[in-house]
Amino acid sequence: MANILLFTDQMSQGYTILITGLVIVFCALLTLSLFFQHGLPVMLYLYKIITKGREKKIKDIKVEADKEFTGEIAAAISLALHMYLNEQHDNENAVLTIKQARKLYSPWSSKIYGIQNRIK
Amino acid sequence: MKKLIILFSVLSVLLFVRPLLFSTTISPDFNNTSVTVTNTPKADEEAFYSDAFKGINQFYHYTGFANAKWGNIIMILIGIIFIYLGIKYDYEPLLLIPIGAGVILGNIPFVPGNQTGIYEAGSVFNYLYFGVVKGIYPPLIFLGIGAMTDFSSLIANPKLMLLGAAAQIGVFATFLGALYLGFNLPEAGAIGIIGGADGPTAIFLSSKLANGVNLLPDGTTVKNLIGPIAIAAYSYMALVPVIQPPLMRLLVNKEDRKIKMKPPRAVSQKEKMIFPVVALLLTTFISPSALPLLGMLFFGNLLKESGRTERLADTARTKLIDIVTILLGVTVGASTQADIFITKDSMLIFGLGAISFVIATMGGLLFAKFMNLFLKGNNKINPLIGAAGVSAVPDSARVVHAEALKSDPSNYLLMHAMAPNVSGVIGSAIAAGIILSFLG
Repeated sequence: MANILLFTDQMSQGYTILITGLVIVFCALLTLSLFFQHGLPVMLYLYKIITKGREKKIKDIKVEADKEFTGEIAAAISLALHMYLNEQHDNENAVLTIKQARKLYSPWSSKIYGIQNRIK
Repeated sequence: MKKLIILFSVLSVLLFVRPLLFSTTISPDFNNTSVTVTNTPKADEEAFYSDAFKGINQFYHYTGFANAKWGNIIMILIGIIFIYLGIKYDYEPLLLIPIGAGVILGNIPFVPGNQTGIYEAGSVFNYLYFGVVKGIYPPLIFLGIGAMTDFSSLIANPKLMLLGAAAQIGVFATFLGALYLGFNLPEAGAIGIIGGADGPTAIFLSSKLANGVNLLPDGTTVKNLIGPIAIAAYSYMALVPVIQPPLMRLLVNKEDRKIKMKPPRAVSQKEKMIFPVVALLLTTFISPSALPLLGMLFFGNLLKESGRTERLADTARTKLIDIVTILLGVTVGASTQADIFITKDSMLIFGLGAISFVIATMGGLLFAKFMNLFLKGNNKINPLIGAAGVSAVPDSARVVHAEALKSDPSNYLLMHAMAPNVSGVIGSAIAAGIILSFLG
């Protein structure tokens, strides 16, 4: 009798664990997914505002002309950029010159010395 | 003293093989430990030979041939089959070969009492087995898994996390099934986790609940089920490509199998860094008992994503996890010593394990179909990826991918399937934590 009681008790506890366990697992992963669906974008947006300031709309940005910055300077910069971007490979002189670096004959390369002075 | 006699007898065999061929009198009294060593100069040849034979006889009774039982031989054959499956069919060779070798090692017959077997205190295997019994290896494995896992598909599509939770139905259903079959609550909890399809988690939970040490309320100790549970979990993980496809075909119709999911959005590095920290905090606050597993998992992932600790992450995902896998595989294999392993309980556990895999897969698939009821247009998910909710990383994701390719050769689901796959790991660890907090 005690055994049966123990058994039924065990089963009811089993059902409790079954239901609560499933609910907790679902809740845990649901919270996690909700956080990454909604919480994280908000957090990243806030972080951006804190570090870089609020994003401005285009019309909010004032156009201020720099008096010093003339058209000639702009032309010079753009020319320099144009030249730089077009000169990824600089042209090299295609003429090859072969320069004799050393004498054709030298005692260092002569076999005759080596033949006579063998190590004994 | 015994060993001296053995040594002496072996030497005498080598020197005097002759008497072995001619002598006919073998003393049956091999148990007599008070044998005098015949190294006195007066000892005659007869006494010498008879003592030598006593030694040989005793030596024979120490060999595996004399102690072998059918159980040992069957288990050794199973070990060889494991190794064969690993080599020939490439079924998780990194697990099956160490486990197969371990099964052979654990079932070599021996005379108890000489600190040989894995269950004898003080033996070398017993020390290595300590890491299993105390649940040390699984968190280390999780560290490596964390350092290899890319959670970006999960971050891109967080709702797929629920599929990982749905597959945990298998855990709790098996738990109930084990209770019906008459297992105690802690044992049933440990058996249920096989449905989590996660070897390390299964070992961790069974080492805490069904370790043969804990006392039950009625005064008896729980059974030691670590071996059967671990073997069942790992075998079914290796059998995922066999178990899952028929269920997928049964539960998901052809139209649904062809659903193409929109490609996941790009995930920024910042999000990837935040994920392990936030997920660690959320999950461990909910289920602190799973702290060793989840803590190490997300710690490993942080090492990977922080971008500053590439060296540590690299060690964790290569050398460290390899070392632990070797030790875990061999000791879990060796823990299947026949006299402890071949029992009715083990057979029941194997049966329950298969059922739990089936239920977990079905839970994932059906929940994916259920989620589709609420999703519109190209947000719909392909229900096949629900099957990847059982963790078995990355096999079940691969199976899903292969199955989707069969019905539409241009439908690549691997990335999408990885999301429920990794959330299944998290889910089963949380489930383990819950069971542990109820029953531990």
